[in-house]
Amino acid sequence: MPPSFSDKDKRMTMEEAVSRFVRDGDVLYLGGFLHGEPYAAAHEIIRQGKRDLTLSTAAGTLLVDQLIGAGCVRRLITSYCWNPIPAPTHAFRRAVERGIPHPLELEEYSLLGLSLAYFAGALNLPFVATKTMLGSSYLEKQGFLGDRKLRVMDSPFGDGPVCLIAPLRHDVGIVQLQRSDPRGNGQAWGLLGPTKYGLQCCDRVIVCAEEIVEEDKIRTDPNRTLIPGFRCCAVVEEPWGAHPSYIQGYYDRDWRFAAEYERETRTEGGFKQFLKKWILKTKNRKEYLKLLGKDRLTALRGGRRVSSSVSYGLYEGFGEP
Amino acid sequence: MDGVASDRKPSDRERMVVAAGRLIRDGERVFVGTYWPIPAALFAKRSHTPRSVLLFEGGLVCSALPPRIPLIASDPTLLAASELAGDVFDTLGALLHGGRADVGMLSAHSVDRYGNINTTCIGPYESPNVRLAGSGGACDFGSLAPRLILMMEHDPRRFPHRIDFITTPGHLGGGETRLQAGLPPRRGPDQVVTTLGLFGFDPESREMVLEGVYPGVTVEEVRREIQWSLRVSPYLVEIPEPTEEELRILREEVDPYGMFLRDRRISSTP
Repeated sequence: MPPSFSDKDKRMTMEEAVSRFVRDGDVLYLGGFLHGEPYAAAHEIIRQGKRDLTLSTAAGTLLVDQLIGAGCVRRLITSYCWNPIPAPTHAFRRAVERGIPHPLELEEYSLLGLSLAYFAGALNLPFVATKTMLGSSYLEKQGFLGDRKLRVMDSPFGDGPVCLIAPLRHDVGIVQLQRSDPRGNGQAWGLLGPTKYGLQCCDRVIVCAEEIVEEDKIRTDPNRTLIPGFRCCAVVEEPWGAHPSYIQGYYDRDWRFAAEYERETRTEGGFKQFLKKWILKTKNRKEYLKLLGKDRLTALRGGRRVSSSVSYGLYEGFGEP
Repeated sequence: MDGVASDRKPSDRERMVVAAGRLIRDGERVFVGTYWPIPAALFAKRSHTPRSVLLFEGGLVCSALPPRIPLIASDPTLLAASELAGDVFDTLGALLHGGRADVGMLSAHSVDRYGNINTTCIGPYESPNVRLAGSGGACDFGSLAPRLILMMEHDPRRFPHRIDFITTPGHLGGGETRLQAGLPPRRGPDQVVTTLGLFGFDPESREMVLEGVYPGVTVEEVRREIQWSLRVSPYLVEIPEPTEEELRILREEVDPYGMFLRDRRISSTP
């Protein structure tokens, strides 16, 4: 059974969270779906030189590309890997096409297929049955999961062939979201992808938040909580932690950064320079943001559009006169 | 904002986006894939399908218009147009797998004669010559959408004899093979809209058939772009040019900055 973590304040620095809870050889889940990608955490993983990771994420972008190019990843579970501008993610390509910096083993699904594998893992189901992916090459090209991934059989309930998807499980998961309390009750809004289920497949969860708020504030709006605090092992306050992806209501996607990254990382040498400049030579997120510059951040911050508040009611007595 | 005058002749891309948009009917619930489907679905919504509902794989249901053109299916601007923001199971799950959507629109890298799409690799999967993006939700659209519209820019490499990986199932080997694989009945690609014309699929063999060309485009020109021996419908039509009003909507309202139509974004599409 996955461990339950204590009730106490679990705030720590990114450096401490990654060094204590991400281990070489782990199956690492990265939350988010183009929205809320945990870049700050991934950069710290690169700085600490973690190795032989099996990376699991709904959709790979620059973030997965950087982890692969930096040599942290041996295996990748995903539905997609591309720069959203759109353009190739060159380090991913170099790894798959030419084994640079080392070969990458792949396990791919459709987005719904992968989400269902997370769902099965989260609920600890033996498998889920679906109609998606039937007829596709995903059924034939299975990688390191071998026969523990997909299988086609006739539905016992008479719907013809169905695709059975085995559950996925992760050692550790990292999510970057809007806000959390010190215990790790993390709240997210906007586009949510399959993150809720991907996180629940994890033994350990690191919650990185744009803001840390009081627990009382979390309780004013519990519908927004993505993961309960007792599933969380570390809480990191990390503003701008998802740049150059975005956090709904906090900052926009940095398209210029994605375009520059595409140009600069076309060669292996160019990638190494990017790595040195943005990740290895910055000690932490603060230095990365300084390098990015205030003007850039201000431009990405944009305006505010605040939701109306709702009442959850009081329910203190039993309505007797 | 510049160059929005509607006296310029329509470009190939504008013809493609308008032709694809015209295939959407008012009130339809439309799964919108990343890239070309975005301007096409927004064009439809602003011209003749004001009541269409746009659905995005990551969990959004949008009946309103976003304040700027979304550059991908997960652009934060879409939240201002969304009445539901949830997760993958709300959209790809309950609406697509659950059979509660009408049509899907996809950009494809390459497609074979039965509408099977490859967005994964050129060459063997284990050691590809060129590695591409992969599925995202595309395979789910192809497996499950009751109607499916593909959008592609022409290039002979995009219409090969055979594809190296079926990322998104089309009509598989033609005939009944899709049904035999267990995919839901009465689905699979219906139309392929390109920068030269419009293709449908033969109701029995399920092979791609050229059904329409833009003014000035010849059948020979289309054949040169396709590696197999292309079937042409006996009822081949000339697709009407975008009207002045359609061009105005596209240029001034849908994509005033030319993000899609004038390559204002850095682009090397799959």
